[in-house]
Amino acid sequence: MDILHNLAFGFGHALTMHNLMFCAIGCVVGTFVGLLPGLGPLATISLLLPLTFSIDTGGALIMLAGIYYGAQYGDSVSAITMKIPHASSIVACIDGYQMTLKGKTGLALFTAGVSSFIGGTVAIVVLAALAPALGEVALKFGPADYTALMLFGFVCVSFVTTGSLLDGLAMCMVGVLLGQIGTDVNSGVARYTMGLPFLMDGVGLVSVALGCFGIAEITKNLDSREERTPFSGKIKLMPTWPEFKRIIPSALRGSVVGSFLGILPGGGPVIAQFAAYAIDRKVSKYKDEIGTGAIEGVAGQAAADEAAARTSFIPLMSIGIPENAVMALMMGAFIIKGIQPGPNMIAQHPDLFWGLVASMWIGNCFLLILNVPLVRYLLSIFKIPYVVLFPAILFFCCVGTYSVNNSLEDVFVTAAFGLMGYVMLRLSLDPAPLMLGFILGPMLEENFRRSLLLSRGSFTVFVTRPISGTLMALIALFVLWQMSVFVRDVRKARQVAPA
Amino acid sequence: MKDRNLLKGLFLAAVAVIFGLGATRYDIGHVERAGPGFFPLMVSSFLFLLGAGMAVRSRFMKPEAIYFNVKNIAIILGSLAGFAALSHFVNMISGIVFLVFASTLAGTSYSIRRNAIISAVLVAIAFVFQRGLGLQLPLY
Repeated sequence: MDILHNLAFGFGHALTMHNLMFCAIGCVVGTFVGLLPGLGPLATISLLLPLTFSIDTGGALIMLAGIYYGAQYGDSVSAITMKIPHASSIVACIDGYQMTLKGKTGLALFTAGVSSFIGGTVAIVVLAALAPALGEVALKFGPADYTALMLFGFVCVSFVTTGSLLDGLAMCMVGVLLGQIGTDVNSGVARYTMGLPFLMDGVGLVSVALGCFGIAEITKNLDSREERTPFSGKIKLMPTWPEFKRIIPSALRGSVVGSFLGILPGGGPVIAQFAAYAIDRKVSKYKDEIGTGAIEGVAGQAAADEAAARTSFIPLMSIGIPENAVMALMMGAFIIKGIQPGPNMIAQHPDLFWGLVASMWIGNCFLLILNVPLVRYLLSIFKIPYVVLFPAILFFCCVGTYSVNNSLEDVFVTAAFGLMGYVMLRLSLDPAPLMLGFILGPMLEENFRRSLLLSRGSFTVFVTRPISGTLMALIALFVLWQMSVFVRDVRKARQVAPA
Repeated sequence: MKDRNLLKGLFLAAVAVIFGLGATRYDIGHVERAGPGFFPLMVSSFLFLLGAGMAVRSRFMKPEAIYFNVKNIAIILGSLAGFAALSHFVNMISGIVFLVFASTLAGTSYSIRRNAIISAVLVAIAFVFQRGLGLQLPLY
């Protein structure tokens, strides 16, 4: 009953005219920007972050969440209609694009919309039930436990997003080091500022995100010089009843898978989609059709995508540790608005927390009633050639970074990170773990130093406490497993071709 | 030196060296009371090991070619820097015009007329941001 009461309280906050408007704007703008080639959720959120600065805290958080799932929906739209994959919509390219080839674009978009709605609804129930309970557990965490948890998060994210533990961990470390720039909170010493006063407060979150994800991606697109043919097919949205019935079982399966995978460290939409798709191929009634443009192939992954996107808020809002790069960015945005996510957030700002949870569901409704019919108009953005589009995106990047602090120096910082992001892209280093390291860096240092202070300089504190000890053991197991895989690969390679 | 895996390791090791040498200029402190240099030195040592490890590992793997288009990234960075400098010394309208005309050099085709239209539209959007959303853009 508590849940119902809390949700009702949340809806009371989310259903004001003011907040409804921000939710709707967030969803539509997010979808629109998410459609643009090369701009995934990370770039979209950081690009639109400055828009929320002049809004009150509650409205700003609601709008940001709207931007996030709008961006995700936009990603899957460009995947279905034109097979443009973003990190968050690789699976949608498979069956979704096949359906477009069969002339069933409208049905695919409708399926994605309805499944997202189902996935989102299931996830919100999970979120409302689990977040407060997990928050109570988190209050028992000491600094050593937090340190171990963050390290565990680094290991999971590195493995999931890049597939290579070493690359990912290295990027996390680079992010942590970048987070060191600025004034040290404990001693007041300015570190790595090179005597530049605007670096005293550290490097801006928006500058790092827009540089690494925005500028670098644009340049990469320019390098490939491909011109895309705009989508020109007809879109018939409403499905027939038998088609509609096929959506439900897959979407429900996807919702459960997505809700679960969304909570785990390193989890989130990407891995959830693959898992849901794989399960559908095993158990669906129409499993033979999957891969050739089946409704199930779109429904399951879209539901999992949306469900995982929602439940990945759980670790952020209950423990205060983001589990992936998008959530790290969200955390940065929360902090800019003066809210520290964590166990105390629900107690101190129940209106914000429950309002945000309720607005997620409202955002789902907006996606369904606003965006699904609007898609054909939004798609017209692809009629604009890229040579017109990219100067405009660059302009928005500039305005975005400038308006965080009204400082032009930040534009130079963004350009510097653009160069770094481009070098990393070309070295096939994924910048997503860097983002997580950058946000968690200062927290990691703080907790690390505090736990050593409490243990009088003994490193055993990380192993002897039950929570941190378990996490450390898991990390060790993971590293050992990866090392054994590497050794086996090298041996295999030697046997095939003796040098 | 065109092997991507080797360059990746060297790049990471270089980042580690830069931050690690920087850290030694601050007070390291000791374990129970760490100074401002302690944590960055520890992290960059770890990163250096990872980077060096990758560089060594690349010797056991097939070399992969690296593609790097200096022209495009230089044009983009140059136009961003030009935008910031012009906005600072002249005004943001000139910065926007420069940004459009400079960055489109990286595009597939170049048209002065089209660039003029893009600039005009972006300046109009900037005015909307300034008046409507209250962003403090130094437009003129």
